[in-house]
Amino acid sequence: MMPIWTKSGKRHVVTLLKVQDCHVLRYISKEESGGKTSKLLVGGKNVSPFHKSESAMEIFREAGVPGKQKVTTFNVTDDAIIKPGTPLYAAHFRPGQVVDVTAKTIGKGFQGVMKRWGFKGQPASHGQTKTHRRPGAISTNKASKVYRGKKMPGKMGNIYRTSFGLKVWRINTKHDIIYVNGSVPGHRNCLVKVKDSKLPTYKDCNKNPPFPTFFADGDEELPEDLYDKEVFQFTEPSLTYS
Amino acid sequence: SCRISSDGKPAKFQPPPKPVIVDKQKQREERRFLSPEFIPPRGRTDPLKFYMERKDMIQRRKVFNIPEFYVGHVLAVTTAEPSASEKSSRFVGICIQRAGKGLGATFTLRNVIEDQGVEICFELYNPRIQAIEVLKLEKRLDEHLLYLRDALPEYSSFDVNMKPVSHLDHDEIPVNKLQVRMKPKPWSKRWERPKYNIKGIKFELPEKKMKEAQKWSQPWLEFDMLREYDTSKLEEKIWKEVSEELKK
Repeated sequence: MMPIWTKSGKRHVVTLLKVQDCHVLRYISKEESGGKTSKLLVGGKNVSPFHKSESAMEIFREAGVPGKQKVTTFNVTDDAIIKPGTPLYAAHFRPGQVVDVTAKTIGKGFQGVMKRWGFKGQPASHGQTKTHRRPGAISTNKASKVYRGKKMPGKMGNIYRTSFGLKVWRINTKHDIIYVNGSVPGHRNCLVKVKDSKLPTYKDCNKNPPFPTFFADGDEELPEDLYDKEVFQFTEPSLTYS
Repeated sequence: SCRISSDGKPAKFQPPPKPVIVDKQKQREERRFLSPEFIPPRGRTDPLKFYMERKDMIQRRKVFNIPEFYVGHVLAVTTAEPSASEKSSRFVGICIQRAGKGLGATFTLRNVIEDQGVEICFELYNPRIQAIEVLKLEKRLDEHLLYLRDALPEYSSFDVNMKPVSHLDHDEIPVNKLQVRMKPKPWSKRWERPKYNIKGIKFELPEKKMKEAQKWSQPWLEFDMLREYDTSKLEEKIWKEVSEELKK
């Protein structure tokens, strides 16, 4: 996480996400998947094929791509279908876009009710007998049962969670890095899924994105760093207010 | 008349011994200073992240001069302030600590203005900073001077209109072995304890208290191998990278 300053002098914090060997693996049509839209399977980081099962390696072999650590699905409209085997780069996103980031949260193991659900617990002194971090009552007398989904101690973390509405401040095309506003779920160097935002306020944020994706062998020559227009670039002199 | 040696022949001309010229310029180049925020902390972060941050830091240093300074120097910082009348404000103070790594590196300046102690924490790479001038160069015995909060106010007060003290580039930065006198206890932290390892305070506490403070000493810490973080090779590499980029 890094600080970033805007031209008005405001400071924001940014998370760096690296796009590491992403390839499109398979196209699943609407009828085949049974959903409302067609799907594209995308694979993440390269790993050795010796630790993957045969069934998993089949998909990679079909696409002609080395084994990937993670495979995710993206729901895609029919005009945005990409041929399996194309690499995906960070330039697929542009600065100014708003993005949702999904990842597995940091696993905390088996945790008590105070840390997991934020219960208040009991006082430390004034006669409490062996009761300082317990949940207390779990149901009423009338119910005479414990409702399903009652907040109790258990395994915390290591589940998929999404941060919505994160603005993209900067893209580095040379190293394929996306600078995304704020924090993102997951530990350092974990695998993360970046999608266009589903929030209704940012529906019209994306003007002229590279459609269906950014092709490296195309005619477009992008500069090494793409900045949002608000971002203060360090090549400019210090800020002054008038 | 020329001297005649014992042989009778005139003595061979002996030229005077050559003077030894100590080139202070060359001696100065041996002293390198790498700002502490360039050294990445210990952890499992990808070195690519530190490389990207370093590129940004070098870019900023090319445009804006950040002088070499340590804890104990007296600095004057001018920042752009939208609410001030001249749109800029100047603060003079002694640097008490340098914290943070990478672009978020900060330094705190302390001064006593109209009997009120003021500490301002500035970010080194904040684009709102318009100038950093070093007014007085002197290192102190400790790595941080947070104990100045509990010292007598005369040690933290510096004149706002102080003139910069001249200093030659090649000289070593002088170490001020000043022992500071403290206000009566209670202090914000128990500075006499060995964990802070403060050398710049003149402790006027009774012997009994000083001996009692040594009870909290942890003499095994300096031998703990898991706490060792050898940065010499990293520093060399980063110093080469940074100096080459800055020369361009």
